[in-house]
Amino acid sequence: MKKLLLSLGILSLIIASVPLGALHAETPYEAYTYNYYSDSVPLPAPFVPERQVSGQDLGVGAFRDPGDVFVTSDGTVYILDSGNNRILRTDSQWGRAEVIAGFENEGREDALRNPQGLFVSDDHAIYVADTDNNRIVVLSPEGELLRTVESPESDVLPSGFVFFPVKLTVDDAGRIFVVARGVYEGLMQFDEDGSFIGYSGTISVRQTFADRIWRMLATREQRSRMQLFIPTEFSNLDIDTKGFVYATNIDTHAQTPIRRLNPSGQDVLKRFGYYPVMGDIRFRQFGNNSGPSRMTDIKVLDGGIYVAMDSFRGRLFAYNDEGQLLYAFGGKGTQLGLFNIPAAVERVGEQLLVLDRGKSALIVFTPTLFGRTVHAATEYRYQGDDAEAVALWEDVLRMNANYDLAYLGIGKSLLMDRKNKEAMEYFKLGMDRKYYSLAFKRYRREVMQEHFGTFMTTAAVLIAALVAWLIYRKVRARGKAHEVGAL
Amino acid sequence: MKSEHYRFPFHVIFHPFDGYWDLKYDGKGRVRIAAAIIAMLVLSTVLQRQFAGFMVNFNDPRYLNSLNDLIYTVAPFLLFCIANWSITTLMEGEGKFREIVIATAYAMLPIVLINLPMTFISRMLTMEEAAFYYLATSIAIVWTGYLLFVGIMTVHQYTATKTVITLVMTVIAMGIVVFIGTLIFSMASQIFYFFYNIYRELIFRV
Repeated sequence: MKKLLLSLGILSLIIASVPLGALHAETPYEAYTYNYYSDSVPLPAPFVPERQVSGQDLGVGAFRDPGDVFVTSDGTVYILDSGNNRILRTDSQWGRAEVIAGFENEGREDALRNPQGLFVSDDHAIYVADTDNNRIVVLSPEGELLRTVESPESDVLPSGFVFFPVKLTVDDAGRIFVVARGVYEGLMQFDEDGSFIGYSGTISVRQTFADRIWRMLATREQRSRMQLFIPTEFSNLDIDTKGFVYATNIDTHAQTPIRRLNPSGQDVLKRFGYYPVMGDIRFRQFGNNSGPSRMTDIKVLDGGIYVAMDSFRGRLFAYNDEGQLLYAFGGKGTQLGLFNIPAAVERVGEQLLVLDRGKSALIVFTPTLFGRTVHAATEYRYQGDDAEAVALWEDVLRMNANYDLAYLGIGKSLLMDRKNKEAMEYFKLGMDRKYYSLAFKRYRREVMQEHFGTFMTTAAVLIAALVAWLIYRKVRARGKAHEVGAL
Repeated sequence: MKSEHYRFPFHVIFHPFDGYWDLKYDGKGRVRIAAAIIAMLVLSTVLQRQFAGFMVNFNDPRYLNSLNDLIYTVAPFLLFCIANWSITTLMEGEGKFREIVIATAYAMLPIVLINLPMTFISRMLTMEEAAFYYLATSIAIVWTGYLLFVGIMTVHQYTATKTVITLVMTVIAMGIVVFIGTLIFSMASQIFYFFYNIYRELIFRV
């Protein structure tokens, strides 16, 4: 009897450990989005952690404080192993990695020193922000030095300026955008020859009213010891296919930690969602784990979607091109799929990679059916293919009936098909007043046109009745007055 | 209750000086009518919060509660009457409490008259036309404010300046009443729990 019970127990354990397919996948985090009322609404997980890739898995020894990861469009993965001063190259099958450690510079052996940023162009030219060597290194795919970009010289730079490049990205024309430590004027821009062009996307400083009052009341000595009002630095950047730079910064007072810079450096990010594009909008004000999200990396995916990484609470936030939150997930911890010190986010194919400096590993996330459907529908919508998107949005609603964006997507398509009444219903469910108003206006005109005759007849009858009643009252009043007069 | 009593509030809102004079010196106001107006105010608030059109209704339907609407309409009304009575008694006002209640309630009539139909009309408005809704509701509030001003002035036989001063003081007094009310409530609950704890101690020991 005991044996039977034991074997039954073991059997049930085995059954319980069999994965149940992507839709019911167990994740160590809860995915969510924010609804119209700024409440967080749970979602089915859009991504599930698939595996963790360490340096040993790639056959090159453990990573040490890895700083950045980059995946080219053909799926080659480059990992910047900052602590070991080397670049690793592998593929999305996670085969044995090639190591690029040193290179020859003007006849001498040269190496990287604590590099922090990595970018690889489509022809596999490797751009490295060689932070502690104060330069940017451009290597050929074979690891030979193509050129370096040394500390820039310009009138706009202060004397004693030390160049500490941290993160970088390169556009199609070969212009390099650099986030440098201690530079508050914005992103540094270099042309393809490596000469400094200027700054881009300067963050303006805002003084609060209280700050101004304090400064007014302070004496000269106090003022000189106050902290300076300097803009925040950018923390990371990425570039989309149209050449717009997406940049993140950590500013606990502002609601614009994510910017999309056009070629003249202005922020052109669309913020049409219910709330600012700033990661978490509900968070504790005081105590543990308080304060807004701290965005330290961003990755632009297809269809206008971008994923921003909050290294403070270890979460990923995906937005569509209109600045509406698609989903957020992730957290801090030691389980597979949680982060210790997330350093960079990348994508390879439809998968997401998060480089974890604390775990010294890459975490690979695979989209679930839900995540894949949301992405596909968002991409169709981005291309203006609302009709194509409808079927997908309906799938999304079957998996999660609380998804506002799906209602909006279906509503827009219905509006296009002139099904105004149905569209109204969907816009109301998606809480979009602007489009609801549009649909309602059309519907109202429709009803008016259809029942114009009835309306006019009713109005005419009512007016006639009113006139008749007024005449009747007048006549009766006159009659009464006559009677009174007679008395 | 004669039909004259029902018609009188309408006379008051269109001819406030005349109407409030009659209310005070000819005794034309009725508490029952005042109660009916307040009941209709509650009704219009409930209906407006629940059924106003999507374009102008920003309430979260999950948190709508008619009982709360009732409390948050009637309580400020009573609070205003009590505070105003307290202030004006000290400031040589000639109004009785009954007159203050009637004058205040009659002043609320424009809100009822405008909000009830606007709730219905708002369901047929687009975003651009929502401005008309807000215009109408603002008119209702300004109208009511004006009536309240004239009502208090006439009932207490004040000058305009003194009316403004008493109204400001009434608001302050309302705050004080709420403060003392909360204070008493929290003290009372502490006293209650004190005796309750003694009782529990005794129960455990016996």
